Amino acid sequence: MTFLHPLALVGLAAAAIPALLHLLERRAPPEADFPPLRYLSEAERQSARRLKLRHLLLLVLRTALIALVVLAAARPLVPSRGSGGGAAHQPTALVVILDNSLSSGVVVDGRPLLDRLKAVARASVAHAGSADRLWLMLADGVARAGSRDALLATIDSATVAPRRLDVTAAVAQAARLVDAEPLPGREVHVISDLQRTALSVGGGEASVPRGVRVLALAPPGQATPNRGVAAARVTDGAVAIAVAGTPGTGPAPVTVRLRDRDVGRALAAPGSGVTVPLPAVAPGWLVGEVALDPDELRFDDRRAFAWRVAPPGAVRAEPGTGPFVAAALAVLEQGKRVGSGSEVVIGERTQAAPGRSVVLPPADPALVGQANRALAARGVHWRFGEPGTPGPIASSILGGIAGIAVARRYRIAPANGGGGRGTGNDTTTLATVNEEPWLVREGDVLLVGSRLDTAWTALPASPAFVPFLDALVNRLARGEALVVEAEGVPGVQFHVRGTDTVGATVYGPDPRESDLTPASADNVRRSLGAAVFEEARFAAERFAGTRRADASGLLLALALLVAAVELGVATLTH
Amino acid sequence: MTDAQRIDLLDPAEVARLGGIEIVAQGVVEGFLAGIHRSPFRGFSVEFTEHRAYQPGDEPRYLDWKMLARSDRLFVKQFEEETNLRAMILLDASRSMAWRGAPARLTKRAYGDRLSAALALILLRQRDATGLITFDEVVRQVIPARVKAGQWARLVRGLLDTPDGRGTAAQAALVHLTLLARRGLVVLVSDLLFDRELALTALRYLRHRGHQVVVVHLMDPAEAELAGPPEVRFRDPESTASVVVRPRELAHVYAQTVRREVAAWRSACRRHGIAYHHVLTDMPFGTALRLLA
Repeated sequence: MTFLHPLALVGLAAAAIPALLHLLERRAPPEADFPPLRYLSEAERQSARRLKLRHLLLLVLRTALIALVVLAAARPLVPSRGSGGGAAHQPTALVVILDNSLSSGVVVDGRPLLDRLKAVARASVAHAGSADRLWLMLADGVARAGSRDALLATIDSATVAPRRLDVTAAVAQAARLVDAEPLPGREVHVISDLQRTALSVGGGEASVPRGVRVLALAPPGQATPNRGVAAARVTDGAVAIAVAGTPGTGPAPVTVRLRDRDVGRALAAPGSGVTVPLPAVAPGWLVGEVALDPDELRFDDRRAFAWRVAPPGAVRAEPGTGPFVAAALAVLEQGKRVGSGSEVVIGERTQAAPGRSVVLPPADPALVGQANRALAARGVHWRFGEPGTPGPIASSILGGIAGIAVARRYRIAPANGGGGRGTGNDTTTLATVNEEPWLVREGDVLLVGSRLDTAWTALPASPAFVPFLDALVNRLARGEALVVEAEGVPGVQFHVRGTDTVGATVYGPDPRESDLTPASADNVRRSLGAAVFEEARFAAERFAGTRRADASGLLLALALLVAAVELGVATLTH
Repeated sequence: MTDAQRIDLLDPAEVARLGGIEIVAQGVVEGFLAGIHRSPFRGFSVEFTEHRAYQPGDEPRYLDWKMLARSDRLFVKQFEEETNLRAMILLDASRSMAWRGAPARLTKRAYGDRLSAALALILLRQRDATGLITFDEVVRQVIPARVKAGQWARLVRGLLDTPDGRGTAAQAALVHLTLLARRGLVVLVSDLLFDRELALTALRYLRHRGHQVVVVHLMDPAEAELAGPPEVRFRDPESTASVVVRPRELAHVYAQTVRREVAAWRSACRRHGIAYHHVLTDMPFGTALRLLA
């Protein structure tokens, strides 16, 4: 029990007044003759027990009356399990995690789920007192400190964010935040749809310090059917579409639009993918869109994609490049993927000639130094180093060549001997072998760690060789950046160098947000270290650990009751 | 003489201010006798003379039951006074009798003196031999019953010569009465603040000897209803006993106790054929005498 005005407790000394008066009254009373003393003695004998009880009762009542009034003046705060705004609580550090991630935009029973979550979050913040320390964390994972009114305004203005919130990580961060506050109460309120994909991958658990209460709003009992476009990538004149969503949801039509015109249509269910051919278009950067029929969650029903249609590059292979390169170029030329010219030169390039080049290591080890000097003369910071160990190729950008064995290679190392993946701002490592750079681009120069010969690598003999060479000469060597994907507001952002567009980033939601399968309550408890409550119970448990009710009113009522009893005892027993 | 002029019906304390015992007693008796038309003590130790028809107000004990059985009519028996009635008045002169609850009231002793004197005068005027015994712990005065002239004066002097005593032991005085050879009337005037069983034993003995016994229980009104300061130590004037009480707290139970005590005396006396009268000292003497009649 705590007191709002503890100094008033000094008044408890006044509770001794009745006892003191009783003692002070024990002075010698006046004396008088009274002949019928025997009657008096008899009457007193009959009343002795009653009178003793009465005196004791009055003493207790009067002492209790004073004590109650003094305690009421001290405004005691007692632990309270009751809900409602009238209950006060001890100062509490509170983080409200309002999960306004993409999945919160689902419409349930005709009402956006986010509205319900915002109402609960609003109640949590509204019940905070002036002594509380408050933060609000949205799907961006940023803990915003602020006053109650400021955070209420933030909640009111929150909209569905096109991003995913890792609730496990958010709870861990929030728990650390409140644990650092020297306040009696520390709580984290998790107000989320708690889809299973919102918890950390691999079943990680949030580390919740002792003394921090984590309250989670119970996830919905049933999964809401949903489909979403997980990915859309253009490859070889077709768009490969992946559909995500709640497992068990049936297939739905997928429409591909280009320049506001439907150019393709297919049927796909969550977990499956379809490829839709694109029409022939003129060279240049293009943006398209994949759309699903509307469902309860609209925010994942569309996804943009971008690609560049480039004119065939003019390629020349230096003598000594090998038969595999020549054969592949012939195939590409036959397919009108490349033309003849010196726009891109493939070879050892031991002379410091300018222009876009694919530089292969010299067949003669004695020429490695000359090749490095030529690279230095062109301002390239990468060099051919010592022979490297054999191993498979790893590349996230050129997926087709991943896993292909490399028997011989030179290490490609920075000129200054430093580590890292490059030395210049325009340097990109495109593939590695044994985690060492194998294919590096810097400016308009591509360095390959192995000669494109089967004595060095199995790549020339694989079906991926021609597409690999196509990518080298048409995209990579010509300085075109890749189309990369990122989480964010759906849309396409182009990368520009000078007046040239060199790449694009396609933004879209995290596909995991499309799976609306709720996590089980046990999983939530285990992952978040949280107590899971339905909405009504959640309201009751809010600040329950530190909730205090002002008991002064009750004490005053009790004092009135005691005063009435005292009056009754004093009057009726006379 | 109108009721307003009858001093027997006035407040005893006011009457007492008119003069000494003799004057007061005479005045009371004059007024009292003027208010009645027959001998107040008719009926005891008298000879039967005739029958007369019963009238409302006649005492049922004088009904002739045999006549009622024979004729189915109500007749009362008429008696003729005798002069050989012997009355003995026992006056408690203990210290408790010298108490009064308010200065404006008579003490119980003063009230008892005047009541006894008046009673004696009435009896002597009827030519009944009347005597007096005063007592406290012991018998203080014994004036044998006589009917001769000057007896009343002797009785009054006996009252005056008896000082306030100490304790009370009515049994001794009552035992003294057992020495009386002839049956008669015994009137005990006391506040009865002594052992009831012992006193009743003696009274019962008198009754057994054929005496008519009348007990006059004197009580100050302040003894009937407890009052006083918030807290007070009450002392027994006849002993060293004392008790500290809060009168307001105890008043109700005390009043019940007094009523119970009076009822106990009344019940015990009735059981033994003894007349019992509870007289408060603010009761007019005439009213008290009428109780005795």
